[in-house]
Amino acid sequence: MSEAPFVSVRGLQKHFGGIQALKGVDLDILPGEVHGLVGANGAGKSTLIKVLAGVEKPDAGSLSIDGVEVQLSGSQQAADLGLSFIHQELNLVPCWNALENIMLGAPKRTRLGVVDWRAIRGQVQPVADKVGIQFSLTAPVARLSPAEKWLISICRALVRKARLISMDEPTASLSIRESENLFRIVRALAGEGVAVLYVSHRLDEIMDLCHRVTAFRDGRSVMQSERATLTRKQLLEAIVGGEAPVPAHHPIPYDSSRPPLLRVSQLVSGHSVQEVSFDLQKGEVLGLTGLVGSGRTELVRIIFGADKPDSGTMTLEDRAYSPGSPADAVNLGVGFVPEERRAEGLFAGKSVAFNLTIANLLDLRIQPWLPLLDGRRRAGMAKEIGSRLRVKAASIDTLVDHLSGGNQQKIVIGKWLVRNPKLLILDEPSRGVDVGARAEIHGIIRELVAQGMSVIVISSEAEELPELCDRVLVMAEGKIVQELRGETITRDAIVHASYHRTASAV
Amino acid sequence: MPKPASKNRIALSLLAKYGTILGLFIMAGIFSVLAPNAFPTFGNFLNVLNQASLSMIIAGGLTVAVIVGELDLSIGYAASYAGVLVTGLIANQGLPVPLAIILVLGCGGLIGVVNGLIVTKARVNSVIATLGIGTVVVGLNFAYSTGAPIVAGVPDAFTQIALGRIWGVPNDVVIMALLVTALWILVERTPVGQSIQAVGANPVAARLCGIRVDRIKILGFIIAGVCASLTGILLASSLGSGTTGAGDSYLLAAFAAVFLGSATLRDGEFHILGTCIGVLIIAVGFNGLAIFGAATFYQYLFQGVILILAVGLSSLSRYFAEK
Repeated sequence: MSEAPFVSVRGLQKHFGGIQALKGVDLDILPGEVHGLVGANGAGKSTLIKVLAGVEKPDAGSLSIDGVEVQLSGSQQAADLGLSFIHQELNLVPCWNALENIMLGAPKRTRLGVVDWRAIRGQVQPVADKVGIQFSLTAPVARLSPAEKWLISICRALVRKARLISMDEPTASLSIRESENLFRIVRALAGEGVAVLYVSHRLDEIMDLCHRVTAFRDGRSVMQSERATLTRKQLLEAIVGGEAPVPAHHPIPYDSSRPPLLRVSQLVSGHSVQEVSFDLQKGEVLGLTGLVGSGRTELVRIIFGADKPDSGTMTLEDRAYSPGSPADAVNLGVGFVPEERRAEGLFAGKSVAFNLTIANLLDLRIQPWLPLLDGRRRAGMAKEIGSRLRVKAASIDTLVDHLSGGNQQKIVIGKWLVRNPKLLILDEPSRGVDVGARAEIHGIIRELVAQGMSVIVISSEAEELPELCDRVLVMAEGKIVQELRGETITRDAIVHASYHRTASAV
Repeated sequence: MPKPASKNRIALSLLAKYGTILGLFIMAGIFSVLAPNAFPTFGNFLNVLNQASLSMIIAGGLTVAVIVGELDLSIGYAASYAGVLVTGLIANQGLPVPLAIILVLGCGGLIGVVNGLIVTKARVNSVIATLGIGTVVVGLNFAYSTGAPIVAGVPDAFTQIALGRIWGVPNDVVIMALLVTALWILVERTPVGQSIQAVGANPVAARLCGIRVDRIKILGFIIAGVCASLTGILLASSLGSGTTGAGDSYLLAAFAAVFLGSATLRDGEFHILGTCIGVLIIAVGFNGLAIFGAATFYQYLFQGVILILAVGLSSLSRYFAEK
């Protein structure tokens, strides 16, 4: 791989308003290499990708394709040059089928001007076979799993003769087995000379998969290195800048004599939750995991009052608990941080203060009988959480839109802190979060637990739960198939339990 | 190279934010120069405010509905119905004036409740739901009045509401000022107002924060309905009669004002203060047209163009805000 680079970026700069997102970035991507791109949230990875995609124009610096300097005028030109981008939110049209999505924007037509589906199928099918698509290309995309959607997105890139495919957090919503399939495809693509820009916070994947790695920090490329000469520690230090935080966790031993906060018994909801029973103790971090579709999300939605169970009962502090809506759950002291934080947790166009205090409005009244907002108390509350979570924002009146992803996520979690719920449920708390922010979020969770709060953490990352949890429940096919405690919580045990049931059912 | 481009962008976003206010002053300036004896007088100023009052009340209510993220197309018909109903209840049924007003305001609230329930529980798009309910209201209006205006038997006690003055200021203006202040406080300075804004900004997130989204949306429709009724009542009071279609034209004026307002001071966000500016622009425009004796069709041209302009400005300012 000593050829000339396919894509070469030199001294790229870009600012948005007062924020310098890129302060001089260099990057070379060789044909047929898997190039890892790592960096904290806000380090400039997404901005670089937007520039490469022709969506944003750089302020300074150059971009060369095949050694020829180009100035991208738009996304179409980037696509024509063989640059293809798969974003985390996979821009697929849900109600269209795979074929339509793959050909979106580049349909073949017959001489009569209508779309020639036969020719399209002929063109797509070989590519689909190559990436191992086994489902029908004519089923609506909305019915497909995240992994299948990824395959369609890759297919779309290949049909357009992409020479570079950029993948943003590809495994974020994939199970372990699906991820491995994706890695196989990525390696095969590289073998055929397609370059892959692999953006991920998951350093294990970067270390496994990539030929070379570039690290961004604070708008600069701080390291570009051959994978072979790189250690995980070096990589971490390049991302964080200085010594990497070492996670230390000592699980609290489970003691059945402690009073439970939440008691769930015989909960049933359709096929997705089947006779689930468990206790959650006060001050406990309970992990909930399982493959996508194992019923963990559905279970949590019931606990939070977003859905109603078919049967079964719950008690909260020994009192019957059957929330009819999330509002009931919140009033009884339950908080929820959704997985899709931007879409379901953040109020865009509103200030930091608004976002931090919105779950706690009644405390902001001047007096209970005078329902006016106490501006000073509101500002104080917002400032306190802001500094506790180390949210980086110009002021509490800054619109959340202007914050980096990691800071936005802190704000979504932060709104529950003043409320001091008895139970906080976090769905994938560190998805899409960089190493530093992840350690911070884990720190926050431990701090809350130390104050007596109970926490349920849903996570697909088998590595995350051992760092965080006192106890882990593994779900499969709507049932709890394994309970792990203390030292027995390991990545291998979790993975094993997740697949155990599925394997035996086959 | 990038510097002037971003300067342009800042200029454009400033224009989008303050353009409406600038436009208001330019318009007032032109009218003052062209009609120095008629336009810039205290009497005319009160006159403009008086004419703007009814629009402001109905547009203020509509603003709350749009902030929660819904459109209410029934407000014009609700205003017409309120005018007919209030005069009818007083003149034909012999109800005391205050009781009739309270009943009719309640009716407006009820229209809001029905709109809200259809939108939140039956999940009908608010444009369709309120268009349907608005048409039903027209039907009720005709059923009650048989289409004939209610003129006879409207007592002075009722007409004096709109015609009276407090310290020389028309009652309409006073009522409008009180109501607008109340709405502003509600939206900007109360916990409920924060919930209203949250529901409009992101209903899913609002629900997950424990806000009862459906109730807040219904509240938005209720406020829109009550305000529409109030406008209808004051209109009937100033006309001295209840006419079946009297309030219909307020729908478009209210929408134009609300969208003009969203392009004012904030980046495409609906807010009460902005709506006030929007109403003033339309009122000053109408006043100018009247002073120059422009034919009626100019009023329609003006209003149609201003509505499109308003929505265009609103989305432009949002566009520049995101840039």
